[in-house]
Amino acid sequence: MKMTSLPGFRRLLLTASVAAFSASAVEAETLSMWVRESAADPGKLMVDLWNTSHDNKIELTAIPDSQMITKLATSVQAGNAPDLVSFDLIYMPDFMKAGFLTDVTDQLNADPHYANHIQAYKDIATYEGKIYGVGFTPDVSVLAWNKDLFKAAGLDPEKGPQTIAEVVEDARKIRALGGDTYGFWFSGACPGCNIFVTSPMMVAAGSKMLPKNGTDDALTGDGVKTVLEALKTMWDEGMIPANAETDTGANFVSAFTTGKIGIAGTGGFLISLMAREHPDFNYGLTVLPGVEAGQVSAFVGGDVVAIPAKGKNEAAAREFLTWVLSDDAQLNGLAKNSILTTRTDLADNEYTKGNDKVLTTAKALSVGYVPWVFHFADMVNSDSSPWIGMLQQAIFDGDVDGAITDARAAMLEIAGR
Amino acid sequence: MVYVAPALLFVAVFVLWPLGHLIWLSFTAKSLMSGPDDAVAFVGFDNYARAFGDKNFWRAMTFTLTYTAYITPILLVLNLALALLVSKNTPLRRVTRTVVFLPVVIGLASSSLLWYWLFDQQVGLFNRLLVDMGVLSEPLVWFKKATTGQFAVIISVVWKVVGFGMILMVAGIQAVGNDVIEAAMIDGASAWKRVRRIIIPLAMRSIVLATLISAIGSMLAFDQFYLMSGGGPRGQTFTTVYWIYQSSFVRFELGYGAAQAVLLMIVITSGTAMQLWLSRKGQK
Repeated sequence: MKMTSLPGFRRLLLTASVAAFSASAVEAETLSMWVRESAADPGKLMVDLWNTSHDNKIELTAIPDSQMITKLATSVQAGNAPDLVSFDLIYMPDFMKAGFLTDVTDQLNADPHYANHIQAYKDIATYEGKIYGVGFTPDVSVLAWNKDLFKAAGLDPEKGPQTIAEVVEDARKIRALGGDTYGFWFSGACPGCNIFVTSPMMVAAGSKMLPKNGTDDALTGDGVKTVLEALKTMWDEGMIPANAETDTGANFVSAFTTGKIGIAGTGGFLISLMAREHPDFNYGLTVLPGVEAGQVSAFVGGDVVAIPAKGKNEAAAREFLTWVLSDDAQLNGLAKNSILTTRTDLADNEYTKGNDKVLTTAKALSVGYVPWVFHFADMVNSDSSPWIGMLQQAIFDGDVDGAITDARAAMLEIAGR
Repeated sequence: MVYVAPALLFVAVFVLWPLGHLIWLSFTAKSLMSGPDDAVAFVGFDNYARAFGDKNFWRAMTFTLTYTAYITPILLVLNLALALLVSKNTPLRRVTRTVVFLPVVIGLASSSLLWYWLFDQQVGLFNRLLVDMGVLSEPLVWFKKATTGQFAVIISVVWKVVGFGMILMVAGIQAVGNDVIEAAMIDGASAWKRVRRIIIPLAMRSIVLATLISAIGSMLAFDQFYLMSGGGPRGQTFTTVYWIYQSSFVRFELGYGAAQAVLLMIVITSGTAMQLWLSRKGQK
């Protein structure tokens, strides 16, 4: 009896062990994820979709944009980082260099969808041959024009400006409508807004913007001067509202949606915003132009998603990264909500068919640039950055050449640290 | 000793340790972007030497001192005037005290955003009011110039904090004995004389306290300028704390930011000590 009962007891034990192990293996986990506040809406759409179809759930926390870097850096240093983080892609180089993120090279190289991932996201998330994240909720800069104002000014409402000179000409005609109708808008005290919508025009006109190190090229080419002079002309002639000089970004979008601005740089996010809040607004989108027709560029922005170093639920977090590139996430999470896909093979899909605006942003994404530099915050995004200093000195103070020279020297000093 | 131990522990954990850490940090080249396992380099007084030669830091310090010099007397006069008007306990005065105190419970960031839009050139109601009253011929872009931008911030901060100083001074004024006031009235002292010769001297501790709190708060100004002026135009409205924030969390130089914070602490401590010494000297 003993001989027969012992194996039976062992089997029972084994069964119990396997059951216990299986239970723990399939036990759902709750992952923590941070997203910067300005990208929280699309981030939530993606996370909600994930949560409806996966056992492991994600709890999303929106972090104010200005606090994201500090919170992430200090949490990683304290060993208390979230399982996943979605942040402005422009900070990837600094974070990768600091060792704040988990290397996911093998996983992504083995993922067949990664080959179709937009190149700009691949580039910005790669450091010394290793990959640290994937594009999550993309955005790209474009030029918007108000079709009703174009029509009222005698311009072709179906054709947006194709060169910088046309931007100025069209803005002049719209301003001639008088009253509180203006030709152009830009947020003159917002460094981030302008690297997004103003720098692509300089790049389209052939300029190189930011230096990678202290001996690199910075603000080279005629494009920088051409764009600054165009903006200065529009400012001097009163085509831009007076409060643009001091706007720190609060009116970046709302100035255009008032219906009193003819042309403004904006982002692909405008499409879903307009559909939601101003469905009858008659506007068009085109790619940001350069000096000559056909010269175009854009700033590839948006968020990347990555796994902070020493995360507690790395395996489950990796599963999310794989899902982000899946058909389900790309089509039902992004495209269905009028957000661009981050996979080129899905750019043309059932949701974008016939939507000229989304197709324009897709085109912008394919021709866009993203600067791979360290110290981006200091060089560009800071309220005291040489980038915003150059814009203000050139456009509002009128010293275009001096502004470029000063900014170049300051950028090289920062890049050389 | 046992009775004060909790207080000592609180001070040690929440004041002394952070202060010691700040001072230690100021002697290092610690970066916000240091990796978790990176060694921290000790740089001696390099950060202090750099701060002394940093014209942007001193421009921010000068601006902060100027801002404090403007707003402190304004608050002092308004606090005292309001406190004198509402110190007696009648129903109407109690309501007035509550109304004036209400903005104090609003967060400074919220009130700064509120005023940012009130000052807006296109949709701002404050601008509209001034135009309708004939004070301005057309809406003003307040933050186009450092002077008007600073003035706008002062208006918003005065609205926000005036109730706090008023309450402190009301407490001081109410502590003045009625018998003293009545005696002065019997002796024929006018209202102005009673205020100048009796109420102000006897409520001096509260007045000094309110002024000190106001001055220190102004020296530590950050939120209002960060949200309303963004340091502009051309970096002319960066306060010292704003500049420390830029160094520490935008340029990632925690060590350098800590050194600037220590220098600011020395300036504030010196100013406070001098203010206390002067008020004690005046009372003798």
